[in-house]
Amino acid sequence: MRIASSQFEATMNRGLEFNQENISKLTEQLATGNAIQLPSDDPVTDVRLSRLEREQDTVTQYRANIGALKTRLSNNESYLTGVVNDITQASDQLVWASDGSNSSADLNSMVSTLQSVRDSIFFAANTKDSEGHYIFSGNQTNTAAITIDPNAAVGSRYSYTGDTGQQEVTVGNGITQTANVNVKGLDTYLNQLDTAISELQKPGVTGGDPALAASLKTALDGSSTALSLVSSTVAGLGGAQNVLSTLDTNHANVSLSNETAISDIGQLDYGVASTELNGYNLALQASYKAYSKISSLSLFNVI
Amino acid sequence: MSIINNALSGALAAQAALNATSQNVANAQTDGYTRQGALLTTVAPSGGLTNAGGGVQVSSLIRFSNDYQNQALWSSNSDLGAKTQTQPYLTQMEQVMGDDKAGLSAGVDEFFSALNASAEDATSSPLRQAVLTAANDMAQHFNSIYDVTSNQVVSVNQQRSAALPQINQLTSSIATLNQQILSVGHNTNTSALQDQRDQQIDQLASLVGVQVTTQTDGTRDVSLSTGQPLVSGALASSMSFDSSSGTPVLTLNFANTAFTLDDSKIGGQLGGLGDYLNNTLLPLQQSISQFAGQLSSKLNTQFEAGTDSNGNPGQALLQYNPDSGSGVLQVPTTLTSDQLAYSADGTPADTTNLQAVIAINNQTITLGTVGSVTVGDADTQLVGKLGIDSQQNQALLTTATTIRNQAEDDWKSTSGVNSDEEAVNLVAYQNMYQANMKVVAVANTLFDATLSMFGS
Repeated sequence: MRIASSQFEATMNRGLEFNQENISKLTEQLATGNAIQLPSDDPVTDVRLSRLEREQDTVTQYRANIGALKTRLSNNESYLTGVVNDITQASDQLVWASDGSNSSADLNSMVSTLQSVRDSIFFAANTKDSEGHYIFSGNQTNTAAITIDPNAAVGSRYSYTGDTGQQEVTVGNGITQTANVNVKGLDTYLNQLDTAISELQKPGVTGGDPALAASLKTALDGSSTALSLVSSTVAGLGGAQNVLSTLDTNHANVSLSNETAISDIGQLDYGVASTELNGYNLALQASYKAYSKISSLSLFNVI
Repeated sequence: MSIINNALSGALAAQAALNATSQNVANAQTDGYTRQGALLTTVAPSGGLTNAGGGVQVSSLIRFSNDYQNQALWSSNSDLGAKTQTQPYLTQMEQVMGDDKAGLSAGVDEFFSALNASAEDATSSPLRQAVLTAANDMAQHFNSIYDVTSNQVVSVNQQRSAALPQINQLTSSIATLNQQILSVGHNTNTSALQDQRDQQIDQLASLVGVQVTTQTDGTRDVSLSTGQPLVSGALASSMSFDSSSGTPVLTLNFANTAFTLDDSKIGGQLGGLGDYLNNTLLPLQQSISQFAGQLSSKLNTQFEAGTDSNGNPGQALLQYNPDSGSGVLQVPTTLTSDQLAYSADGTPADTTNLQAVIAINNQTITLGTVGSVTVGDADTQLVGKLGIDSQQNQALLTTATTIRNQAEDDWKSTSGVNSDEEAVNLVAYQNMYQANMKVVAVANTLFDATLSMFGS
């Protein structure tokens, strides 16, 4: 085939352009470490990567939710453990008060201890979070869990004013965990304590007083009911922590396998890339050499 | 004494051939130059059995041109033009939409993450505020991507409008050259004019797909690959966008007849741009708008079904304005974080409605270009489709470039100058000239010998 002089130059230009384009692309890949610079480099892999990254984002969010939720549940647990201690203390006091040999003065002196325990439980039930929302009133977080009506008759002054609503938090695909517990039932115990206190502080009350004995017995029974109520809630919180930990481990495994997949299909194979780079470099250098040799060849030089 | 005349004709022919060679050497690097050569023919003897002949004559200059190669050059340039012009637009769109931070996915993911985080503590103001911020951010992602498509529409239209004057100028110039070639062709070498005309046809072919037919008188008629005439002899058409109906319609005027053209099917840069505009860009823009519209509608319906943290009925989260200049999605400026309706039963900490909002991420929407997809996967599929479109265009561009290169190589193998070959011609015709001069000298010697017979 006849070759025109300008065709040789065009071929040379094309060759240089081709090599330089590939070198530039490889350099970009080496600089970012990503095999795919633009979706069109490999649309199918790009879609897979995008989906993996989305799943990874979701899992990260679930894990963040689990972390925050565990803290929240653990706070609830601390508050309720305090209530358990209070109830135990009240219970001890009530047992002592039930001893028929107590003098009137002895019985009166027990009042302040029981009052402080009653108020402690009341305050614990109305604990607020840092933003001022009640944490034990179900979904009625703007309302106190247990309210006191000083004008009502003794024995019905405390009432539960929250609800039993559950705040569900998504912690996995289709998995929710209740983030709150309520103290419904503690109001009854507070009323029982309140009744016992009012009997104990009556002037001249004696250990054998039947009204006192009845109120103490009710409060004692109430203590064990309240204790099992709160303890089972605390146990539930502990159980939830375990479930969340297991779930978090599962998420961590999924996350790791996603990361591995993302790096497997999205990361540049540096070995292959640098070998290719060498190849193009060599071709480019050879082209330069060839050009300098051939371009000096001309019949005009010898005639 | 025909020897001396024969020698003279040989010397003159050698000069003509050297002249052609010098022109070739001078234009060795000229784009579109077709090399020429002298066609030497023997002059037949006028009579007598012993007369060898009347010398040599340059019967014409040969123009080394192959019309099949010309046609291949032109048709390859149309394909190249179509694919070259669209690639930068596709690449820009891919870069923006495929970006980890700027893409629609980033905005949508961030929003649903914020919702999920807020569900952990529904009454927390900072978490609610983060949802509002993420919603704003998502709206901005939609707006900026939508803006990129709008800017591309403007840019494509400007580029198409700029191509029309070039096309009109080229068609009229080709018609003028046709006329010149016709009028001077009987007594002048029109090779330079033909080179000029063929190069302009090549430029025209890059702008629109053309078919070229050569008439017996040497003129070339050019028509669009869809059949409508661009140049016929000395007559040229003109193209324009007729905007009287609202959307611009590509119209061709030839000899007082108007043809309506399908701007995405006429090939070349103009057709490539029209094809990209009508079959990729506008559908993509519409899909982004549909995405924004259907997502905001779903979110608004769900939020409006709930109750905010003050017990009031829920409010719409997003305003969707497909025709607004300020963006397709906006979060109402009056919306505050406590107005986000998470609750289904009216209690402040209930998250039932919020869970329903979060579930929207897995609901399906229907977009023009990718069909029925989930909200979370919509952008991935849009970008995937764009990537495939771009990949396809790149493959076609590579093919078009290869074919064009091949066509150029073929054309050059016939019409291009090879300097070594010209060097050989130079020496050959120089020798021919010198030989003829020698013949004159020999003839002269013979003449002298004859004369000396009488002189003694």
